Amino acid sequence: MASISFRNVTKRFGDTLAVDDVSFDIRDNAFFCLFGPPLSGKSTILKLILGLEQPDAGEILIDGRPVTHIGPAKRNVAMVFQNLALFPHMSALDNVRFPLVERRMPKAEIAAKVSAVSEKLHIGHILHKPPAQLSGGERQRVAIARALVRDPAAYLMDDPISALDARLREQTRVELRRIQQELGKTLVYVTHDQEEAMSVADGMAVLRDGRICQTGTPEELYRSPNSTYVGGMLGAPAMNVVPITMASRLSVDAAPRGADQLGVRPENLRVGVGEAGTIADVEPMGAFTTLTVQAGDTTLRATLRGQPKYTVGQPVGLSVDPGRAHFFDEGGAALESARREEERT
Amino acid sequence: MQRSLSFEIFRYTAIALFLALSLIPTLWMVSMAFKPIAEWQASGADLTWWPENPTLDNFRFIFGQSASELIVALERTAGRPILASLLSATFGTLIAMFAGTSAAYGLSRFGAGGNLPLALVQLRLFPPMAVMIPVMIMWAFLGMIDSWWGLALIYGIVTLPFAFWLMKTFFDDMPREIEDAALVEGCSRWRVFLRITLPMMRPALASSALFIFILNWSDYLIALLLTTRDWVTIPVYMASLSSSMTGQLYGAKAALGLIAAVPPVIMGIAIQKQLVRGLTFGALKE
Repeated sequence: MASISFRNVTKRFGDTLAVDDVSFDIRDNAFFCLFGPPLSGKSTILKLILGLEQPDAGEILIDGRPVTHIGPAKRNVAMVFQNLALFPHMSALDNVRFPLVERRMPKAEIAAKVSAVSEKLHIGHILHKPPAQLSGGERQRVAIARALVRDPAAYLMDDPISALDARLREQTRVELRRIQQELGKTLVYVTHDQEEAMSVADGMAVLRDGRICQTGTPEELYRSPNSTYVGGMLGAPAMNVVPITMASRLSVDAAPRGADQLGVRPENLRVGVGEAGTIADVEPMGAFTTLTVQAGDTTLRATLRGQPKYTVGQPVGLSVDPGRAHFFDEGGAALESARREEERT
Repeated sequence: MQRSLSFEIFRYTAIALFLALSLIPTLWMVSMAFKPIAEWQASGADLTWWPENPTLDNFRFIFGQSASELIVALERTAGRPILASLLSATFGTLIAMFAGTSAAYGLSRFGAGGNLPLALVQLRLFPPMAVMIPVMIMWAFLGMIDSWWGLALIYGIVTLPFAFWLMKTFFDDMPREIEDAALVEGCSRWRVFLRITLPMMRPALASSALFIFILNWSDYLIALLLTTRDWVTIPVYMASLSSSMTGQLYGAKAALGLIAAVPPVIMGIAIQKQLVRGLTFGALKE
């Protein structure tokens, strides 16, 4: 049971600013996702939580207690590393019970905990093998079991399922969600896959160049991104961001003052009869179809349910679902959210 | 790719030729070691590849039993030099490996001793003689001339750079996450080193130690300068196997050479499994 808070934490590696004045709160029992492109500071934040790195400035609190000067072994946080970091010279069993043996737990208790966790992760039959003889998915499970076997305040996972194939990834994702709910523990999860972040997290932070762009629930971030960056990071296909001059062509009126760019999610772009653009490409995906529409100099993407019949070159009219247009200023900051903040104060 | 038959023939011929070139001198030594004096002294048409009357006379001779045909009396026997070589090379290797591994780990993980790599090389920047004469004077002053421990100490010192550089490469290649994981799972820094790093480094330690042992084992110059009588090593002793009457005692030298080849070979076979085993295979996602 633990909440985790960062207060203005900064971490430099030489001249590079890996984490830049970051503050956030992860509430107890949350499935919290740190989401961003590679090198955006996600992994460094995990290392700071673990105590493997020390912040250059700011404070880190676990359960309201400052942990800045507490070593990794005493922070009571477990971790699944991106490359799993199993101990190659030990069997899977020795890997799993390692945290308990190191903490000098009585043997009977260790055996009970190991069998409980191996049952949960279905690894009982492979425990005698060394990591080298396990498949990717099995190694995955052993690494997760090593983190789950003790009773830490929080679990951290650094993109632990990125090496699995798509189907196995989906399964593991669901399973992780289930395990997290069963355990009722805080889980901090790092990923660069927006689908993964959206589907499992109940809170997330979007990172860019060591800074946090926005935090909130996945729905909040998806519904009202505070910048073109966050808007573009979440959702596939990505949000259409077009110059505000396109507004009339898309029948969007009432743009707020200072609006420079217009953002429309592909599923909010309506395609109808008209002359606003021409179909450049049709991708039927089964449950939905992605259209690429050329409107003047801009290319827009629209997703429609089912498999509507459109042909390349066909002229179409475009409009946006009412209230679903996003407005951004020149710098890419959302205007709507700015207005909301004004209202709040 | 399908290789043509003629290419395969060429390939195996070339391999056989190179093998023969590199192995014939060694085989010649083995053969000579078991030849009686008449055979190893023979030349021209009398020369034989294999001993026609195999004998252990050469071995008996260097261990002090007079062999019938060799009327030369040896000043000393091979037993003590073999012991000297074993002690000095083994302890020299231990010193180099202990100091080199510690230094390499410190530098690789914590950046401790930034100038160390260059400082360690300076001993090898000069011609060996230029280094060894001052060392000889120092060792004489310290009363370590002609002792196996004096020799072991200098062996440890001159092979330390090799141990350091080899181990540093291995430490650099070891994934940091594995140690991080052990730290997070409750180990202290020392525990990580003992429980995780050293066991994972066993193949690296074994191959480095073998390399360094062979360097120490085959040294001639240092032993020549630092030992005089009681603790001369095998190579120095071997040089003394000649007399004004008989010239070079090739048979005796071959026998001693054969004995000298045994420890490295045994070590090599003993750690063969470690040498070929992958360092961290299976620990990480591929």
